Amino acid sequence: MKKLPLILAALVGTAGARASDLPSLWAERVKCAVAVEYVTQTELERRPTIAYGTVIDSEGTIILPSAAIDLRVSPSQMKDFKVYTPGDPEGAPAEYLGRDAFTGWHFVRASASVRGRLLPVTAFCGSGALREAGLAEEVWGIGIRNKDEDFMPYILKSHVALLQSLPQRTAIAQQEVSGPGLPVFDQEGRFMGIGSSSFGQTFLEFTGTERGGTPIMLVNVEESSAFVTAGEVIPYVGRVPKNPFGRPLAWLGAYGLEPMDREVAAFLKLESQSGAVVSEVLEGSPAEKAGLKAHDIILGVDGTPLPRFRPDRVVVDYVERLIAARTPGQTLTLSVLRGSDRMEVKALLEEEPRLVREADRMYFEKIGFTAREFVYGDAIARHSRIGDLKGIVAHLVKPNSPADIAGLRPDDWIKEIDGTEIKGFASAAARLSEIDKDLLRTETVFLVSRGSDTAVLRIKLR
Amino acid sequence: MSGGFDRLLDSVVRIDVRELNFEDGARRIDAGIGSGVILSQDGLILTNAHVAGPKAVEINVTLASLERVSARLVGWDHWTDLALLRVNMDEAKRRGLSFKHAEFGDSDKLYVGETVFAVGTPHGLTRTVTRGIISNNNRYFEDTEGVDGYETGNFNTWLQTDAAINPGNSGGPLVTEDGRIVGITSRAYLGANNLGFAIPSATAKRIVAGLVRDGSITRSYIGVIPKALQDLEGFYDVATNTGVLVDSVESGSPAAAAGLQAGDIILGVDGKKVDGRFPEQLPPIQNMIASQPVGSQLAIAYKRGSREAAATLVTTKLESRIGEEWVSDTWGMGVQRISRAYARENQLQDDEGVLVIGVQRGFPAEVAGLARGDVITKINQSPVVSMDVVKAVDAAYTAKPAPTLFEVQRERRVSLVVLKP
Repeated sequence: MKKLPLILAALVGTAGARASDLPSLWAERVKCAVAVEYVTQTELERRPTIAYGTVIDSEGTIILPSAAIDLRVSPSQMKDFKVYTPGDPEGAPAEYLGRDAFTGWHFVRASASVRGRLLPVTAFCGSGALREAGLAEEVWGIGIRNKDEDFMPYILKSHVALLQSLPQRTAIAQQEVSGPGLPVFDQEGRFMGIGSSSFGQTFLEFTGTERGGTPIMLVNVEESSAFVTAGEVIPYVGRVPKNPFGRPLAWLGAYGLEPMDREVAAFLKLESQSGAVVSEVLEGSPAEKAGLKAHDIILGVDGTPLPRFRPDRVVVDYVERLIAARTPGQTLTLSVLRGSDRMEVKALLEEEPRLVREADRMYFEKIGFTAREFVYGDAIARHSRIGDLKGIVAHLVKPNSPADIAGLRPDDWIKEIDGTEIKGFASAAARLSEIDKDLLRTETVFLVSRGSDTAVLRIKLR
Repeated sequence: MSGGFDRLLDSVVRIDVRELNFEDGARRIDAGIGSGVILSQDGLILTNAHVAGPKAVEINVTLASLERVSARLVGWDHWTDLALLRVNMDEAKRRGLSFKHAEFGDSDKLYVGETVFAVGTPHGLTRTVTRGIISNNNRYFEDTEGVDGYETGNFNTWLQTDAAINPGNSGGPLVTEDGRIVGITSRAYLGANNLGFAIPSATAKRIVAGLVRDGSITRSYIGVIPKALQDLEGFYDVATNTGVLVDSVESGSPAAAAGLQAGDIILGVDGKKVDGRFPEQLPPIQNMIASQPVGSQLAIAYKRGSREAAATLVTTKLESRIGEEWVSDTWGMGVQRISRAYARENQLQDDEGVLVIGVQRGFPAEVAGLARGDVITKINQSPVVSMDVVKAVDAAYTAKPAPTLFEVQRERRVSLVVLKP
């Protein structure tokens, strides 16, 4: 099984020699592109979403761009994954494997029935080092039409206009060159990268009343003129998540990194230096244990100064990717500026605390809301100590339900039910289940916290 | 109409106010029109706090004789939306101007359906009289930002009338047929038909006396947000018409220090029973507490679960959510001192720093990336402990412009920016 990609690569190698034969290059490479459909199923609705992806191995593994799936949605709510090969109205079932924190990709695996019609992009990398498309070079990519057009593939072609590090190496073409998430190739059919989210373009809108023109930004969501280069893709295709949440997740706990701009660097006599200001150091985090302080400026990681980026804010993604590339248990040494002192802070990365999308949740039909476990991130968002991870969160409030009418709002932090303090999710869920099932009960009273205030809510059940 | 009504007409004035605002990051003068009523022969005029407040730099009143004369602010109270002005009596005497004054009636005796008249300057139409009835004599609403961003309505209920109230009526009197002031017209629902509201004269009389005496109204604060107990008596096992529900206890407040918690039922204050069954009953209770001298010890009897308990708390001075404002002409930036209330609302760690309320395009603050809503916590690495710190740095910068480092907090993110000449 493992030999298959190599054999394919060899075959394609000979095909690639006929550089100008675009139709035959197209015919093979279009098998790297797929459309993926899934349904987000909440208590109240089923919402289908379609995204585009690229095949990365012979097991039918597909990567989708980060934006394809809303990170607030729990994997348990994402149902009915289907993979469609271009031009095929009959999809095949697929499985969601999870998201990789470093690349941001979501991984999906197509069922065996469709794998024969797929080809991985790794087959089109050629031999030797990965090539990066050069400035002004002609490149082409794949676009996919909508579902009602049977996901028909079509070709896009352009020239590379600019290469930038954002922090990933990104080529920006003169015009749209592929669908977001779909592959881009050079004239010889070598894999050049994957379409990223499109950049917005500003237009002026003129109307009868607004003669000066109002700027509006348009974003093409079907096609993109930007792509991350092959060097940002091929080395990481092995990062297939072991579980839907992408665990293990390395965690430092330096919250709200903000870029240090050039003017500030010059003021602090750090010319030609790049840096990131730490807004907060989270309670109980590796950063806190290592002695990192709020308002420290990170200037380097593991002895290497942070590189300069354009725009300055890219440095934040750069640092966050350095953390995400590691695993819990590894160390990270930060060079920081605190006031006028420079120092080294050595942090031992830990497993990230349970995330909102991993939290337990349960829907209560009669009361009309979904209760969710209160997790670390909830405490941080509410400026609360983590020592009291108590209470539950109103995750969803059904419109016009008793909970809604009583004034319960999504994200309310429920601290007491009927005058009794909530300890953990399990006991609260048991309590709410009893209330929800009790046909004789007329009311339940919640104490909720919202912003800096609390409120007593009387929920009338009959 | 009655002689009293004629006299009232001769005591109503139009008020033209020019205010200094810093919200564009520059000194900008805004002009506004309102109404008012003369209360005494020595020239006291009652109006709304949202017509004339501390930002006023020029106040002119137009008397019934159509003569204009200048006036100054005696004091204001945004909590009840009332302000007191005084006619420049030297000028009035020099020019031989005369005016009449009106008398208060008793708003507590108003009945629903009673005929009332609103007199004022709607949309600048001086001396407009409209007629209606009292639609409700005990209307409850609070508004945390109702008077130019200041809180209002916590300590009084309102008279509701269907006499036509339009912008510019604000501050004018609502009177009975005999010309006695029973309310000060203050607001109306825009887009609705004839839903107007006035501050009752019973409240106004009290506020006028305080403003004449001290120039301001000082209130006690305990930090309890009350809620009507309606329908919850059974749940809390208290008799009907007993107690006030504590909906929230503000962090760092006297109530928090005394151990009061949300969900407690306050049964009595200083031995006096309280009844907050309906929302309309809450403002008088809040007013009773606020009327205690600052620093008073209050004995609070309360019920928590099945247990009754007592706590003693010491009141502090009630503060507004809007702090001192100032503008830097050099940087093109308007700033506001962060009040305790603002810090609490926004869950800031402390009330240090100043809030940016406006930046002027093309000036150093805007160029550096500062924006409305940012909190400036440090300048040149020293904490901003007072407005004086900002003023001192601004003065130094104006004398000798040099790059200046600001540490700002936006939401929860801390960033550094440099303001450059």
